[in-house]
Amino acid sequence: MAGIKLENVDKIYAGGTKAVNGLNLDIRDGEFMVLVGPSGCGKSTALRMIAGLEDISGGTISIGDRVVNDLPPKDRDIAMVFQNYALYPHMTVEENLAFGLKLRKMPKAEIQKRVLEAARMLGLEQYLKRKPAALSGGQRQRVAMGRAIVREPQAFLMDEPLSNLDAKLRVSMRASLNQLHERLGVTTVYVTHDQIEAMTLGDRVCVLRDGLLQQVDTPQNLFDSPVNLFVAGFMGSPAMNFANAELVRGDGGASVAFAGYKLPVPEKIFADKPGLDGYFGKPLILGVRPSDFDEASNGNGDWARMSVKAEVTEELGSEINVIFMIDSPPVEHKDTAALAQDAGEEEDVTALPLAGDKSMWTARVNARSHVRPGDSVELAVDTNNLHFFDKESGLAIGHPANR
Amino acid sequence: MRQGKYPFIVGFLAVPVILYAVFVIGPYAQAFYIAMTNWRGITANPQFIGFENFTRLFEDEVFWQAVRHHGLLLLALPILVIAIALFFSFMLNVAGGSKGGTMTGVKGSAFYKVVFFFPQLLAVALVAVLFQSIYRPDQNGVLNGFLALVGIEPVGWLTNPNLALWSIIGVMVWQAVGFYVVLFSAGMSSIPRDVYEAAALDGAGRFRLFFSITLPLLWDTLQVAWVYLGIAAFDAFAIVQVLSVDRGGPDGSTTVLPLEIWRNAFTYSKFGYASAMGVALFFLTLTFAVLTLRVTRRERIEF
Repeated sequence: MAGIKLENVDKIYAGGTKAVNGLNLDIRDGEFMVLVGPSGCGKSTALRMIAGLEDISGGTISIGDRVVNDLPPKDRDIAMVFQNYALYPHMTVEENLAFGLKLRKMPKAEIQKRVLEAARMLGLEQYLKRKPAALSGGQRQRVAMGRAIVREPQAFLMDEPLSNLDAKLRVSMRASLNQLHERLGVTTVYVTHDQIEAMTLGDRVCVLRDGLLQQVDTPQNLFDSPVNLFVAGFMGSPAMNFANAELVRGDGGASVAFAGYKLPVPEKIFADKPGLDGYFGKPLILGVRPSDFDEASNGNGDWARMSVKAEVTEELGSEINVIFMIDSPPVEHKDTAALAQDAGEEEDVTALPLAGDKSMWTARVNARSHVRPGDSVELAVDTNNLHFFDKESGLAIGHPANR
Repeated sequence: MRQGKYPFIVGFLAVPVILYAVFVIGPYAQAFYIAMTNWRGITANPQFIGFENFTRLFEDEVFWQAVRHHGLLLLALPILVIAIALFFSFMLNVAGGSKGGTMTGVKGSAFYKVVFFFPQLLAVALVAVLFQSIYRPDQNGVLNGFLALVGIEPVGWLTNPNLALWSIIGVMVWQAVGFYVVLFSAGMSSIPRDVYEAAALDGAGRFRLFFSITLPLLWDTLQVAWVYLGIAAFDAFAIVQVLSVDRGGPDGSTTVLPLEIWRNAFTYSKFGYASAMGVALFFLTLTFAVLTLRVTRRERIEF
């Protein structure tokens, strides 16, 4: 096992497109690192460069102590799991698993032992004599995983391995992946566009956008203190609510004013976010996570109140997403534009224009609430978790990385 | 839909079936009948002579010579063409490795593709005339000219009975390879790139890649190629007719069945005997097709 180190790695395609731009990443030995970002952000390219399937245009990649820039894929001692499984269709499951070992001239008995071990670990024993065409999607995915495991490589590289599975299977495979990593402890680099996968699987998550590294941190830290508007909007579902706001000083202390609402800003936030006090009287962007809302009757006593009119409610069983309009035009920033574009690409819808100069916010409330569309709701907001971003740069104000 | 189903199907089927019956099955049936007569193309009521034509055929040394030549063609043509075409298409499509998201061939592969396909565009008669000057037995021939440069006596490419058939096979291979390069290229491009990449990560070099991945996944295409080439091996009429010395010579050393049928029918006016030969050729081709499909049948590969 070994760590993987990327130093100032560039990928420039013919025609000048820069897919990866000066990427620095230090993946520790045994770590589960997730590369996440919208499509076209360079995450797959970065992974393929580590694998040796793409040339490196600039910088160095090292696995363990070896710089691998000029090593062919087979000499890098890594195994990869592909999105489309990439099983050998003319071989049985057993032959698929054994192929890499055979090419490495391993003795037959050892191959047999490793294949059986991997098959047992992945529950594939009864399918060993079958061809991939006779397997379901989930089983094929497990074979692909097994092919990586038997090799006992320095690192696993996984390129959206779960995205071809249906939703339910994806959740259970996610859990097995977690278990597997726990058990084998092999350094893993995992590429996904799904932020839930990123949050649940990663020891650390690396958010990329247009080939540029945005932020690397543990999932919780990414969620709690995103470095800029892009990361804030990308991580978390439903996405963070944004509004153009102004910081004002009143009688009872500081507060943030937006769309006719005024929320008090606790002193603690100013202590946590140095530099925020310089924004009094200046426009900035306010961010509130849907999960920092609740119905006033359930909310904590000292949370701030907002009364809104529910336009749409999404009942998810365990909670309700209340969607309401606030009287302020949607935040326009290059970061939020990139997010909207990405969402449009995946779901094939662009935001409906019915909002006009209002913006849509989402609040997540307890399922015991009986909010119906059209109802007026009194919401409580946890003001300790307000996020503030610079209007020009989109950077989080007072974030350690931006100081 | 139920109501109009049969008229609909019959409407589509009628035209091809009628055409096939009139122009293929009809003549075949006639040939079977003519094969049992001593018709010479003139009398309105040919005399029925039973299997006499066939007994004479089986004692005819020229017939057996032609059959032996087909046997050789059947072995040499597919093996040579498929081997060469596979090598070329692998070099053109896969051997360059994975670049920018697709498998690529060696440098200049687009140019080579055109070069390889070019002979396919030439008419057989043209090819034959072209090779007549290449194979000329004196020093003015292209090949013998080269040999003369290194001091080797001129070779009778088409006049030496032991060499003539191989010279003709060489031309057939030269002309056929281009088409099969294109056919195999199409087959190779349908193999997912992921599979090659997975094999590369598993430690396969070019050689292993070809024998463990490309070849097995191309099996269906190979089978098609084998059948096509086998059928071509039972034909070879035009090239032998134009290129060989004395039409199938020297001394019948390059003759093939279609040529003998043509000679018997239109030179000697022995239509009955020629038809008997045609019937024999029909059964040879049929046997080959059935055997090939039997032997090579395997479960289909799904990606």
